[in-house]
Amino acid sequence: MVQNLSQSAGQETRELVEMSWDPITRIIGNLGIHTKIDFANREVVECRSTSSLFRGYSVFMKGKDPRDAHFITSRICGICGDNHATCSVYAQNMAYGVKMPHLAEWIVNLGEAAEFMFDHTIFQDNLVFVDFCEQMVKETNPSLLHRAENTAAPRSDEHGHRTIADIMRAFNPFTGGMYREALQMSRLTREMFCLMEGRHVHPSTLYPGGVGTVATPQLFSDYLARLLKVLDFVKKAVPMNDDLFDFFYAALPGYEEVGRRRIMLGCWGAFQNPDVVDYTYRNMPEWGRKQFVTPGIIVDGELVTNSLVDINVGIRILLGSSYYDDWENDGEVFVTRDPLGNPIDRRHPWNQTTIPRPQKRDLGEGGKYSWVMSPRWLDPRTGDLLALDTGGGPLARLWSTALNGLVETDLIRATGHSVKITLPKSEGSPEKHLEWHIPKWSNTIERDRARVYFIAYAAAAAFHFVTQAMDEVRAGRTKVFQDFAVPDDAIGCGFHEAVRGVLSHHLVIRDGKIANYHPYPPTPWNASPRDVHGTPGPYEDAVQGLPIFEENGPENFKGIDIMRTVRSFDPCLPCGVHMYLGGGRTLKRLHSPTLGAGA
Amino acid sequence: MARIRVGRPDVRPDAPSHVRGIREGNEPGGYEKTPGLRPDGTATARRSTGINPGARDPIDPSMPNLPPA
Repeated sequence: MVQNLSQSAGQETRELVEMSWDPITRIIGNLGIHTKIDFANREVVECRSTSSLFRGYSVFMKGKDPRDAHFITSRICGICGDNHATCSVYAQNMAYGVKMPHLAEWIVNLGEAAEFMFDHTIFQDNLVFVDFCEQMVKETNPSLLHRAENTAAPRSDEHGHRTIADIMRAFNPFTGGMYREALQMSRLTREMFCLMEGRHVHPSTLYPGGVGTVATPQLFSDYLARLLKVLDFVKKAVPMNDDLFDFFYAALPGYEEVGRRRIMLGCWGAFQNPDVVDYTYRNMPEWGRKQFVTPGIIVDGELVTNSLVDINVGIRILLGSSYYDDWENDGEVFVTRDPLGNPIDRRHPWNQTTIPRPQKRDLGEGGKYSWVMSPRWLDPRTGDLLALDTGGGPLARLWSTALNGLVETDLIRATGHSVKITLPKSEGSPEKHLEWHIPKWSNTIERDRARVYFIAYAAAAAFHFVTQAMDEVRAGRTKVFQDFAVPDDAIGCGFHEAVRGVLSHHLVIRDGKIANYHPYPPTPWNASPRDVHGTPGPYEDAVQGLPIFEENGPENFKGIDIMRTVRSFDPCLPCGVHMYLGGGRTLKRLHSPTLGAGA
Repeated sequence: MARIRVGRPDVRPDAPSHVRGIREGNEPGGYEKTPGLRPDGTATARRSTGINPGARDPIDPSMPNLPPA
């Protein structure tokens, strides 16, 4: 939709064109991006992100048997359902007071590592890179493509592509070499996943207390054989990504401002360490820190906390622009204090009551325009309610892991300022050393770059897990399940990483049934609308003020820089982006700063 | 709940839950009762087969017992 708006403020007149991309499908609901663009100054002035679909898991989970929770919540997502199942299992483990056998933890970790490799690969190479491929760049920035044709790829000896334009061609949909190879990889990695969790993407062998996977040497050999094939691909993909993204910085000065927002990243940690994890709330900070992806909240480049209890207690679910009635005054309070005695707010997921109020979308000032709520994190230092983002997942995960400097395995080392990853020798390539450095910005390019590095991270982590699992099996310790009783009353919380970022499940059990259940996946954090205090959500924040580098004018504008930014957050497979540029209508909106003067 | 019109429910919300009298997979004691699983977390060939399982255990007791799936 295009609408031309004229805004005049004093001497300054801005010609704003309203442009909407709605729906960007297949996120949790339907994502729409509504913007006002100043083409004369090449800047996006305003952005609102909306979701037009209500899911209602928190409503219909009530009254169900808690043991069904992971099977049901897995269906929240068609691409990272296993992350939900895993997170739900973690929350149930806490509620039931059960600890999984070591081998079961390694199997879950191996399944989740395969999921990260699968999802990041298919998203990066088959969806994100459509925005960076030769065909797209030819349509949006022809002069950039011309320069790419004449720019040698610095790492061509590692990936075999001579120029940057060759790399772009490799990502052309359906015809490009990397595009097609990525599809093969997504098949391999899904096979790896299915070996561990039974079925992709809704696991059939994952339960609280353990797994139903029968651990045999064959199982892990099959996984390892596929992992080695994936390594050849990853070793090529990382330098290709680096070359392409470095080229964008060099060829388009100022591109670092695209999608840039204040560094406010959240990571809830992933890959449990079975030596430490006991799923008790009391010990949660300790076993949280021992995960193989370290949790953390990073504000302005500084680590605020890596304690999962601090993270949990600080979560607030705000309304403001969402289609819900507030529960602050008449909602039931389920948890007043956590097991450590910390007060739990009424706006915490444990105490949330979802009261949907369908209504017409109002994109005007103060209007309600989204089914997404506004999760925020209360910074105890300042009292600010921070609109954290996940950096698409990998950026926050690598940043937090690097800054914490706690992870050390044979193949991964977090240094405090970087993450060093070693990929062992594989069929077609020698051992390779990679290092991801904490970037200067939280922007579109760095979100995308981190994704390919996290594929390497997950592969290196999987090597550690498979080695540990094999040690268990060789010792004959094949127990993968611990039995448990369901208590009448209990609470639990699970913290995990969905592929695209933070994931939490909060559970309250009464009379052996679910009394309250609230999953918070990454997209509510990233796609949240303006909250009650007027703070925009991360998509809105990242797109507002975005400089436009596309060479097309308003007539055939594709919004490529905006789309790259939204996609850099990995909004659950935005492969169905439609853009409607209808005839529109011209409005004249005048604003006079002087009281009573003008009209 | 919201003031929105909804249809008549076909089932109670807890319909898929446990039916009284049926053994639950998670119930305490389930592990011990399963044939072929030992208390120390190891397993024997009985886990995989009920047909002459003793003959399928390792010939040397010091070897790990890794019955097939």
